[in-house]
This record gives sequence, C-alpha cells and structure tokens, in this order.
Amino acid sequence: MSMVSQELSGLDRIRTRFLHLLKERQANVAQHAMLAWESDDAATKRSNFQEAQMTLHQIAGTAGSLGFGDLGQTARECEDLIITYLDGPAFADNVLLNEIFTNLDAFVSKSQNLISHPS
Amino acid sequence: MKILAVDDDPIILELLSHFVEVAGCHQLVTATSGRHALDLVYANEGAAFDCFLFDIQMPEMDGIELTQKIRGMKQFKDTPVLMLTAMSEKRYIDAAFSSGATDYVTKPFEITELTARLQLIDDLITTRRIKTDKIFAAQSPIAPYASSDSRSAIQLHDPISIYDVDNLVEYPAMENYIRQLARGSLFGSATFAFAVRKIEEHHAAMSSAEFSFLISDVAEVISDSLASHQFLMSYAGSGIFICVTESGWRPDMGALMDAVNLSLSRTELYDNSGQQLFVRVSAGEVVRLIWKCENSVMEAISAAYLSADEASAAHERSMNDLWLVPQRA
Repeated sequence: MSMVSQELSGLDRIRTRFLHLLKERQANVAQHAMLAWESDDAATKRSNFQEAQMTLHQIAGTAGSLGFGDLGQTARECEDLIITYLDGPAFADNVLLNEIFTNLDAFVSKSQNLISHPS
Repeated sequence: MKILAVDDDPIILELLSHFVEVAGCHQLVTATSGRHALDLVYANEGAAFDCFLFDIQMPEMDGIELTQKIRGMKQFKDTPVLMLTAMSEKRYIDAAFSSGATDYVTKPFEITELTARLQLIDDLITTRRIKTDKIFAAQSPIAPYASSDSRSAIQLHDPISIYDVDNLVEYPAMENYIRQLARGSLFGSATFAFAVRKIEEHHAAMSSAEFSFLISDVAEVISDSLASHQFLMSYAGSGIFICVTESGWRPDMGALMDAVNLSLSRTELYDNSGQQLFVRVSAGEVVRLIWKCENSVMEAISAAYLSADEASAAHERSMNDLWLVPQRA
C-alpha cells in the first residue's frame, strides 16, 4: 500500500471514530450549555461552562486535522469566549453570555449536521 | 526514536499513532494521563524514551506539571519535550517553555508539520549526543589529553547544556519560543544579552568540564539577578547569554550589569587547580520586540547578541587604553 493511500485509509478510520464520539460530545456540550443557561447561580454557571470548555477544547484540537476545519473553528471560538468568561469577574455582562450561547448554538447545529450527514 | 505521547483525548492519540506509523521511523507509546505517563516512565526505566509529546490541558495533572516532573528525573533532563496543544495564548507558551519544553506545536496539526518537528528533534538528539560525548571525553580519567584535542573539546561557540537554573532553556528551545512569540503579540517584550569578558582566555585556559561549570555558575548568577522579573534566558555560546523579557519591563542595563558583577564578585569561583577566577560580564543594549515578524525577531536577538559582544570588546579596549595613555602626576 502506498504512503498516501495508507494515510488516507488510516484517517478514514479515525474520522469515523471522531464522528462516533462527536455524538456523545455534542450531547455533553449541549447539556452543560443548557444547565448554565438555566442557572442563576454564578458557581453553577461557571462549573458547567468549565465542563463544556473541556469538551470543546478536545474537538478544537482534532477536528482540523481530520478535515472538519469549520467545526473545529467554531469549537475554538466557543472555547475562547468561555475562557474570557471564566477569567473575568464572577458576574459577567449579558453581552458576553449571549455571545457564548449564540456560538454554542452554532456549534451544536454544525455538529448535528456532521453527525446526520457524515460524508 | 522511542516517543511517549500523552493526551486525554483518544482521537489525538490515534492520530499520532497513525502519523508515526505512516512516517515509519519512530516507535510510539501512548498514555491518557500524566499519572499513566509516569507509570510508563518508571516501568520503562531500562529502555528510556528519547522524546516526549505532551498535551497541556489535561485533568488532574496538566502537561506543564508533567514536564516539570520529567525534568526532575536525572535521565530526562535533556530529553526533548514537544508540547502538542490547542492552547495558543502567550501565558501557556511561556509556562510550557519555563517548565522545560523544547518545542511547541499548536493543534490542529498536519502530518507534514509533525514529521518535520520530529525530524528537528531527532537532529537535536544527535547533536546533543556528540556534545555529551565531548564533555565525558574531557572528564574521563582514561583520556587525560582529551581536552587538548580540538575535535573532542567543547568549542567556544558551542551552546553548552546547563541544568537546574531557573528560567534557563536550551538555545534550540529559546529559538522555538521566539518563533511562537512572533505569531502573537510582542507588545512589551524585549531582548538583551550579557557577554562574559575575556571569554577566549577563560576557554583557552580551562578544560571542557571546567569551562562548562564556569558557564553554569555565571548562568545562575544572571538568573538570580533577574529573579524579580518575568523572563527566559539561554546560553548562546561564546560566553553570551540571551534574555527575553516582557510585561513592559525595560531594564536599566548599567544597573543590571553592576548587580550581576557584584554577585559574581561575591561568588568565589575557582578552577580545578584551586586558582580563583576573576569573572565579570558586559551588558548590551535592550532591543524591543514590538511588532516584529519572525525573521525580524530573530534579527533582534542577533542584535542583542552582537551588542553584548561589542560591549565586552569595548570594555577590553578601554582597559588597554587606560594603560597606554601616559599618566600624569
């Protein structure tokens, strides 16, 4: 088998595994986003955002290498916004929170599209 | 190379295994946490790893802490550590290099980039092995004439490895750090250098091991003198130490040079024959790194190097002139 075809077949296998895991990870991010949205308690909001950030961080780190650059970029943007929130004061302004939820929504939608139409 | 890759993301470990398999010239062992990695390191004591690939953000023990633990082990003081991470913020880059990382690759990465970095590390290991052989040859009691052999002695321009000095990284790691810095904001960053005066004389009079100890002692004094500031420093060879600082601090080089020299005068340095050494440094100009691209940043580092070298030469000239000028009563 040539190096290129060997590389492609290996990547296909990892891509399939990534998409399989994405289903679980998307649900995880959506669940924590929802809990953060619904909570009025700053500590609960932060811990849920932290959980979502860990998952987004993993997706941002691999999606680009597997040909899902757009999803990786969206995950990275969500992660950066959450880090800004976590590094800031206990009660962040609503503009930042709205931006986080808008981006998380875009991430969940893009993940859903990939899971539904993997090719 | 036998490589240990550590990441809590199974997809990254699969990608790395795949890339290394395609490249075909390395052996990869994987771990999913810092603790798992340390267990593997202890278990593989007889067949140590040649290179480490660490993710930064991992639960419980992150890649920075893992690097510090690895660097604390005698057999891995020199082993290249490549940080493979999605964290591109400057604070993570600084923390990675301060903890002892050799290079830094931002995720997502491509196979070509990773293969090229691994090749650089392979070359570094080969070069370092030759240098280590030189030091051991010079220290070996069965090779008493090794230090006079120009092929085995440490050359004046060799960037010697220095251990256990705070914020000191090896020169290849410093170059990699600067490349990473150049990709982001350099606002408030500056570089400057110190040159050990009469370095050629010290080098000519000493064995490789003595010269290596001298350079380590000077490095420790400079590091201690800068301790209240955020910085990274490196020995660039020829008695010159390059420092990179940030946070807007613009050092007063005259005062800093005096502080280093005062500390050197208090640190009694001797050669192997018990002769006290008179070691002093000269300081060059501060060069700001703001708004510079990678090439310009490397040029700024060269300018700092040359400035310190010139300051040392100017000091020697002024000392000679002092004796040549006729003295009047």
